[in-house]
Amino acid sequence: MKKGNNIRFSFIILFLTSIILTGSNVPALAHKVIIFAWVEGDTVFTESKFSGGKKAINARVEIFDKDGKKLLEGKTDNKGEFSFKIPKLTDLRIVLNAGMGHKAKWTVPESEIREAGNILEKKSAVEPSGPTTVGLSKEEVKKIIEDSLDKKLRPIVRMITESKNTKPSLTEIIGGIGYIFGLMGVALYFKNRRKKR
Amino acid sequence: MKSSKYSWFFLFTGEKMHISEGVLSAPVLVTGAALAVTGISVGLKKMDYEKIPQVAVLSAAFFVASLIHVPMGPSSVHLILNGINGLLLSWLCFPSILIALALQAILFQFGGITVLGVNTITMALPAVIGYYLFGRLIKEKNRLLSLAAAFACGFFSVFLSGILVAGALLSTGESFISAAKLILLAHIPVMIIEGIITMFCVAFLKKVKPELLEGVYEKR
Repeated sequence: MKKGNNIRFSFIILFLTSIILTGSNVPALAHKVIIFAWVEGDTVFTESKFSGGKKAINARVEIFDKDGKKLLEGKTDNKGEFSFKIPKLTDLRIVLNAGMGHKAKWTVPESEIREAGNILEKKSAVEPSGPTTVGLSKEEVKKIIEDSLDKKLRPIVRMITESKNTKPSLTEIIGGIGYIFGLMGVALYFKNRRKKR
Repeated sequence: MKSSKYSWFFLFTGEKMHISEGVLSAPVLVTGAALAVTGISVGLKKMDYEKIPQVAVLSAAFFVASLIHVPMGPSSVHLILNGINGLLLSWLCFPSILIALALQAILFQFGGITVLGVNTITMALPAVIGYYLFGRLIKEKNRLLSLAAAFACGFFSVFLSGILVAGALLSTGESFISAAKLILLAHIPVMIIEGIITMFCVAFLKKVKPELLEGVYEKR
């Protein structure tokens, strides 16, 4: 009898919690914050958002070099985006500070910058001799392809960042509760066996 | 909010009561794990047949509580529910909170596996202390007094958790005062809400099932 009551009470608590949970599903304000950056030519683009998908607006972005020296800082616009010209050829550590201890970090490795930069350097080297040759040089073709790839891939990159950081899904929540009750079953089973012995 | 030295240490932490991976040094992690193991073994020793479902349900409540957000300025903090865990489970809240934290770490990436010990301590220890401080008062016949004790227990558990988190961050070179200030300020609404939730739970239990509040003492 007592046990039955216990369990009934327990389910009431769980039920109430789940009601509060679904009721409070409004939080546009979320938990984790993420910053994502990619290089296009000589510019680094960054995008910041909270885990619910809400953009981190007007949040401070600071750029540090490899040794932790601050190179520049700025604020995200109303789309949560912030871009800057590469100030220095080094690993760029981008730190987002969305307030209240919500911080995120992204590192753009030097190799990535060099790769993107290479195209630019080659382009400027090619340009003066450009008009003499008919058609396009190998570098120019490469540059055009890279450019259009960057452009075409941008939405995909975005999609990946979005999927990378969504808030806990219902399956995960219910799965977690399921695990807890599964463990309860296992514990009861073992306790019960010991009791019978 | 103005960024200063201390906010660096929340770099990897999305949320604040859960300390994330890679923030704490090894000695702190090991100490936390050792303390947590002690607490859990005490809890497991006290766990008997009738208590298991209750532990599971409160563990589940703790598990989902972190998804309930309280808006705070440009970001938000979440409920913890360690006060009611401690009040109803005493030492049993160690296994209860450990399981919930482990699942939060795996499924939600809150906290992390290596910091599990430290996080268990920062949340379960205040719950146990809250139980010893306020548990007896809650049994009081005087309704007002018992409800006030319940509120205080919910409030205090979150408060002490904040202090412990700040203490753990101390090892990272963080200034204790500033970290504690930041964490506690952010959690004032949570403390109040948890106090109210604990109060309602106790009021409800007193009416519907007072044995549940007494039970913990009888077993001793």
